[in-house]
Amino acid sequence: MAIQPILKYPHPLLKRMAHRVKGFDSAISNLMQDLIDTMHAGPGSVGVAAPQIGVCLRACVVDVSGNLRGKEDNHGLLCMLNPEILSRRGSAVMREGCMSVPDYTGDVERSTEIIVRFFDGLDHQERLVAASGFEAVAIQHELDHLDGILFIDRVINISTELFSRKKYR
Amino acid sequence: MPDNELSHYAVSVVGADRPGIVAGVAKALYTLGCNIADSSCTMLAGEFAMILIISHPKPFTKTQLFEELKPVSERMAMTLSIRHLPRGEEKRRETGGEICRITVYGADQPGIVYRVTDNLASRRINIIDLKSKLIEMGSEPVYVMLLEALLPDTITPEDVEYLLEGLKQELKVEINVRIVTPVEF
Repeated sequence: MAIQPILKYPHPLLKRMAHRVKGFDSAISNLMQDLIDTMHAGPGSVGVAAPQIGVCLRACVVDVSGNLRGKEDNHGLLCMLNPEILSRRGSAVMREGCMSVPDYTGDVERSTEIIVRFFDGLDHQERLVAASGFEAVAIQHELDHLDGILFIDRVINISTELFSRKKYR
Repeated sequence: MPDNELSHYAVSVVGADRPGIVAGVAKALYTLGCNIADSSCTMLAGEFAMILIISHPKPFTKTQLFEELKPVSERMAMTLSIRHLPRGEEKRRETGGEICRITVYGADQPGIVYRVTDNLASRRINIIDLKSKLIEMGSEPVYVMLLEALLPDTITPEDVEYLLEGLKQELKVEINVRIVTPVEF
């Protein structure tokens, strides 16, 4: 298939709730391949969601196996259709950036362990994956795109906690 | 508009905190047709400090800018300073090294900021953000400093920890180093 251009905010599609995928057909297979190709084309990219390439469907790919932070603990290439996070545990802050919001980074708090259920975009089987660490963060970032949420919506500022002038009650 | 058709300035306004400072300065800049690019505005003790990078289509001069902002800053009894940015300084220079957050805290004493930053400067480690606060905790004030530094390619976060280890012992402060280099998804 093809490497697709990444939409940049303020493109309205990036803030829209994506529709559920209702069945497998050649268009979905092509979409998955486009997502994979586009992810591999981005320098250091570990995931792409369908809305980022202009398709308002609940589909995304994640692969952290080539990244220094994710190479020890990962499930390889995950091609996800209609993914849902079933449970979450722990939290950690990581500084994130996004191909759709270039030149900006911010600290985001995410769960450190998640269980995600999805239909595999390649073999069409339902899968349950228990992801942790960097892979869990990457999945949460991509799934946010399916709900029209950008990392900017979740940026926290740790320093306000440390330097807070509020009195604790 | 291309950058070479814009004049860039660094503007700082500092004075006793009160409501309306940002609105007053922003209104003057808006009326003048200036764009605010990067800015950092915060309260430090009882002072409010604004630092803004602004641009304006050419032709435009620092004098024009100063004359428009002066009445606003004088009305609010604030100190105003303006610097024209030479070409090339209006954009942040990126390098490939890791970004580290260094946290330093301990009993307040003279020289914490100086000693830590001097050590970093000696290795050409570039500080890109620094915040510090004196916390009055009863009879023993504690000094907290959070800084972010861009490491040269040849220096690892472990090297920074090693570099600051002696200082940690000498000043009896806690120093933690962690990588915060952003990950692009």
